Amino acid sequence: MLKKLLKYDLKSIFKFLIIFYGLSLFFAILTRIFLSVDNSFIMNIIGKICSGITISMLFNILINNLMRLWVRFKGNLYGDESYLTHTLPIERKTIYLSKVITAIITMFTSVIVIALTIFVAYYSKENLKMLTDMLLPIANAYGSTIVTMLLAILFVFFLEIANAVQAGFTGIILGHRMNNAKTGYSILFGFITYMITQLFALLSIFIVGLFNADIMNLFFTNQLLNIEILKFMMYLAIIVYTIILFVLYFINSEIFKKGVNVD
Amino acid sequence: MELLKCVNVNKNFGDKPVLKDVNFTISSGKIIGLLGKNGTGKSTLIKIVNDLLTPTSGEILVNGKKVGVDSKKIISYLPERTYLDKAMTVDKVIEYFEDFYDNFDSNKARKLLLDLGLDTSQKLNKMSKGMQEKVQLVLVMSRKADLYILDEPLGGVDPATRDYILDTILTNFTEGASVIISTHLISDVERILDEVIFIDNGKIILQSDCDELRKKENSSIDEIFRRMFKC
Repeated sequence: MLKKLLKYDLKSIFKFLIIFYGLSLFFAILTRIFLSVDNSFIMNIIGKICSGITISMLFNILINNLMRLWVRFKGNLYGDESYLTHTLPIERKTIYLSKVITAIITMFTSVIVIALTIFVAYYSKENLKMLTDMLLPIANAYGSTIVTMLLAILFVFFLEIANAVQAGFTGIILGHRMNNAKTGYSILFGFITYMITQLFALLSIFIVGLFNADIMNLFFTNQLLNIEILKFMMYLAIIVYTIILFVLYFINSEIFKKGVNVD
Repeated sequence: MELLKCVNVNKNFGDKPVLKDVNFTISSGKIIGLLGKNGTGKSTLIKIVNDLLTPTSGEILVNGKKVGVDSKKIISYLPERTYLDKAMTVDKVIEYFEDFYDNFDSNKARKLLLDLGLDTSQKLNKMSKGMQEKVQLVLVMSRKADLYILDEPLGGVDPATRDYILDTILTNFTEGASVIISTHLISDVERILDEVIFIDNGKIILQSDCDELRKKENSSIDEIFRRMFKC
């Protein structure tokens, strides 16, 4: 049943996202074409406009992805369509799991498309060299390659977004347990949940700081971090965000299993 | 065999009680009218049976089991609102029902939709609300369920459509199954009912066999309802 649910959830989200994926790649190609024309003031201006649109498209993909996931979650589980969703012979935890997997897959795809768009629009030997020159010292200090380092940064970013999605889901679930002003409460609870997860991340760093003076300096001094501490923080962020992801999933799933109250 | 049993079911919205100590039993092979004025708790009760609302207290048993996956397999529910994804075509909705309900008969659904003269490649959002409701009714009645729960199927429709709806219900429910019809339009459904349950102010005030009730009160169900619920 999970596969079937995923089929409909993914279709519903990708149906819209695919338009933004196409548009961002289209403008990335235009940017590349116009910026590659030398000695033309007009072409250069058009290229810069296309570049601006491409960048805005990247933000658009992320925001649209987030909003569509939340809107689908609300409509499917608490709106008119919930009359069908909750009467399907499927356990509630499976329904929730489908929403979370859909969020992870679509967010992952969006991050890939964003990376691809940047590559199409701005890849050149000169840009690559500039980027390599900038990142290589950091990557060396990390004891890794530039690719590994970029992947690690992208992964942390992806985990952070995935947590924001789940915090939104928590807000919607808790908001719809209230009798009035459900949308208002959903936003409020979602925001509170997100802030709690961020405080938890900060608290984790503080706790680790109790055993590591360099990390504790983060809280009480303005000293610049050394590269070893940055590396440690990256690993810590991955661990903490992964824990938050699973804890939120477990809490949401348990609350959701207790039942719903559909208008 | 007790198909549906409600035991001391209460439901509050905040401080406001909507269902008060509801107890009743429904057996197989009956058409039951859940009758009451608007806002007396009919839809709330139906939503609890369908797991759309959580009771404040009490228990609902379907075939002896608590409401859950097993009960959803055997209950076919028609809500009072249009609940399908309106961006879908009728064909896609049929595919959706086929995917999730083992007891859904797609051939029967297609035949009934063809009888309606409906183009199944049409999107739901291109149809009138009345036509969407007919599509929903066809889908619900195309399941081989043990219990059909129809919430206000006649609400806001013209007399000709009411006849179509009642005929569709009567000719398509599985033999041996029970049908619960919630309505306040008693005169329209009276002819098909075996049993009635009167609900008022969140309480079950009467459950009776229709023939026995008519004989006892020497009047139609509609007249009895009007007398009992006189404002």
